[in-house]
Amino acid sequence: MRERGGQILGSERLRRSLIRVGAMAGKETLHILRDPRTLYLALVMPVLMLFLFGYGVSFDLDRIPVAISDLDRTEASRALVRTVTGSHELVSAGEADAAEADRLFRRGRVAAMLVIPSQYGEKLARRERVSLQLLVDGSDVVVANQVLSKADALVRAETRRLASVELAGPGAAAAPLQVKLWTRYNPASLSALFMVPGLAAYILAITAVLLTALTVAGEWERGSMEQLFASPVGRLEIMLGKLAPYLALGMLELLLVVAFGAAVFDVPVRGSLTLFLVIGFFFLVGMLGQGLLISILTKNQLVATQAGTISSLLPSLLLSGMVFPVENMPWPLQLLSRVIPARYLVHALRGILLKGNGLAALWPDLLAVAVFAVLIVAFSAARFPRRLA
Amino acid sequence: MSSLRRPSARVQLAAVFRKEVRQTVRDRRMMFMLIAAPLLQTVVFGFAADFTVDRIPTVVLDQDGTDVSRLHARRLLADGTLRRVGDVEGPAAADAELDAGRAAAAVILPRRLAADLAAGRPAEVQVVLDGTDPNRSVVAGATAAQYFGQVGERMSREKLSAAGIAPPAQLVLTPRISYNPTVVSPPYMVPGIAALLLLVVTTIVTAMGLAREREMGTLEQVMVTPIRPTVLLFGKIAPYVVFGFVDVMLLVVVGTWLFGVPIRGPLPVLVTGTLLYLLTTLGVGLLISTISATQQQSFLAGFLFMMPAVLLSGVMSPIRSMPGWLQAITWVNPVRHYAEVMRSCLLRGAGFADLAVPMAALAIIGGVVFAAAVLRFRTRLG
Repeated sequence: MRERGGQILGSERLRRSLIRVGAMAGKETLHILRDPRTLYLALVMPVLMLFLFGYGVSFDLDRIPVAISDLDRTEASRALVRTVTGSHELVSAGEADAAEADRLFRRGRVAAMLVIPSQYGEKLARRERVSLQLLVDGSDVVVANQVLSKADALVRAETRRLASVELAGPGAAAAPLQVKLWTRYNPASLSALFMVPGLAAYILAITAVLLTALTVAGEWERGSMEQLFASPVGRLEIMLGKLAPYLALGMLELLLVVAFGAAVFDVPVRGSLTLFLVIGFFFLVGMLGQGLLISILTKNQLVATQAGTISSLLPSLLLSGMVFPVENMPWPLQLLSRVIPARYLVHALRGILLKGNGLAALWPDLLAVAVFAVLIVAFSAARFPRRLA
Repeated sequence: MSSLRRPSARVQLAAVFRKEVRQTVRDRRMMFMLIAAPLLQTVVFGFAADFTVDRIPTVVLDQDGTDVSRLHARRLLADGTLRRVGDVEGPAAADAELDAGRAAAAVILPRRLAADLAAGRPAEVQVVLDGTDPNRSVVAGATAAQYFGQVGERMSREKLSAAGIAPPAQLVLTPRISYNPTVVSPPYMVPGIAALLLLVVTTIVTAMGLAREREMGTLEQVMVTPIRPTVLLFGKIAPYVVFGFVDVMLLVVVGTWLFGVPIRGPLPVLVTGTLLYLLTTLGVGLLISTISATQQQSFLAGFLFMMPAVLLSGVMSPIRSMPGWLQAITWVNPVRHYAEVMRSCLLRGAGFADLAVPMAALAIIGGVVFAAAVLRFRTRLG
C-alpha cells in the first residue's frame, strides 16, 4: 500500500480517506459501547430531564396559603373571606393577628395576609369605599406577583357580587365591556409546551459539547492522541471520526426528546420534521465543534468541563430564552445572547413544534446555527496541532 | 528510631491538606474555576434570571377607528407592560404577525365600539395571545382584562349615578409588600444561586479530582504511604470546605454590592447552614468518585445528581407550583433546604428558631450522605 499520493486517483483517495474516518468512528463507537455507563447516562439523562422540566418547572401556582386577619367579624367580612379563599387559587391558612405576619413570613408558612378593617360591614352598608390591606411576602418574586394579581381579581369579583346583590334589578345588567382572551399555540398555558422545545437545545448543548470535550481531552491526557498522530490518519479524519458517533448520539437524543414530549406532555409537532432535523443537525455540528475546540485548547478534562459549563451549559440555560425571556434582559446580555447558538435553536424549535412555522419564518435561525457550525469547525481545524509540541 | 514511627493523624492530615492546597493554588486554571467562575456566573445569573415580563410586543387592530377606540388602545398600552409594535388592517394580518413572532399579542377593538358603549349595549374586545410562553401570555391577558374591567366598572357606576341611584360600595386592595417592596428578581435569585454554585464547585470538583487521581494512578501511590484512608479523605476535602466558604462570602458581597441583596439575618445562621450543606455536597462528590472509573463518568454522574437537585430546589421555579408527589420528593433535596436558609436569612432576617426545619433536614441529609461516602471510600481503598 505504499503508493505516492499523486499516483492515486482523487476518487480513490476520497474512498481511502472515508475508510480511515470510518475506522476512527468505529473505534470511537467501540469506546462508547465497551463502557455502556456513558451511553446509558447520555440516553437516560434526556428522559429524566424531560420529566423534571415537564413536571417540576412550572410557574402556575394555585392554592397559595394566605392568612386572614379579620378585625370586623361580621357576616359581610366572612362573605369576603369566602370569596377570596373559596377559589382554588388562594386558600386560607387560618386566622392570625397582623403583628404575627412577619413571623409567619420568616417561617415560610404563608405568602400573604389579608387584613379586613373593623367596621367593614358598616362601611359596606353605607356604600362607602373600603380599603383592604394585603400584606405580601415580597421575597419570592414569582409567588408575590401571582398573589397580587389573584387577590386583586378576587376582590374585584367581590365588588361585583356586592353590586349585583345590592342592585338586584335594572342595575345588575352584565358588565358593558367584556374582554375575550384567545390564546393561540398553547391554549391551556401549559409550562411543559414551553419547556420541552427549549429543553431539546439544552440537552444537545450538554451532551455534544461536554462529551466531546471530555473524550478528546481524555485522549490528550492519556497520551493516546500521540499514537493517533503516528498512524496514517490525517487531522481532519481524526476530527470527523471522533465526532461522527456523537453526532449520531445527539440526533438520537433530539428525536427521543420530541417523541417523549409528544407522548407524555402532548407537545404537538405542527411544522416540518425535516426542517427540525436540519436545524438540529447544524446546531449539533456547531456544539460538537465547540467541544472539540475546548479540548484542543485545554487538553485537560477537569478544565474542559469548566470551560464547557461556562461557555455552553450555562448560556444555553440562561441566555437562550429557554426559561427566562431574552427581551427583558439588560442590553449587554441581549447582545451576548446573539452569539449563543442555543438561542436560535430554542426559537426555531418552538416555531416548528408549537406554531407550525416553516423556512420562511425560520431561515434566520437556520442561517445563524449553520454559520456558527462552519466557523467553529474551521477554527478548530486551524487550531488542531499539526504535530506534537 | 522515632523518625520511623508513623506520624500522628494530625500531622498526616496537615500534610495532605498542605499538599492539596498547594496543588490547587498553583494551578491557575483551578483557581479560576473555584473563585472567578462562580463570581462570573453570579453576575450573569443575577441579570439574566429575571421573571419580570413587560414591553410585550403588541399589535392593534382598530376596527372602529373612532376617538374612543383610539383612546382605549392608547391607555391600555400606556403602562409599559404591552408595547405597541404596529397596527394591522385585518384579523388575518394580526394572525400573521403572531405566526412570524413579530408580536405576542393582538388587541382587536370591534366595529361600533364607541357607539355600543354610548348606547349602553354590551361590547366585546378580543385579545389574541401567543401562548408559546405561558408566563408572558398570562401577564398580557391579565393586563388587558384588568384595564377593560376597570373601564367597564367605571362606566356602570357612572350610569347608575346618572340614573340617580347611589352606586354600591367599592372594595380597594392596598398591598403592602415586605422585604422586597419593588418585587424585583435579583435579591431573590442571587441567594439561591449560591446553592447551585456550591454544587458545581464542591461536588463536581471533588468527584472529578478523585477520579483523575485514580485514572492517573496517583491515588495508589498515596496508598502505599503510611497515610490512613480516612485521614487522606479528610485532608483532601478540607480545602474545598475553605474554598466553599470563600465563595459564599464573595457571593454575598457581590450580591449586596451589585444587586442590592440585603443581609438582614444573623451571620452564624449563614455559616451553620453553609457548613451543613457542604457536608452533603462534598459527600455526594465522594460517593460519585467511588462509583465511577473515569472523569467523564464522574462528571456525568455528578450532572445526573445536579440536574434534579437544581430543578427541584425552588431556586428557579416555586416548589408550590409542582405536583404534590414531586413536592414530597423535594424534602430530601439538600439544595432546597439550603436555598431556603439563604433566602430566609438574608431577605427576611430569619434566625435559628425560624429555620429549625430546614437546618435539621440539612443536618440529617448531610450526616447520612457523608457517613455513607466515608464508608464506601474506606472499603474501596482498604
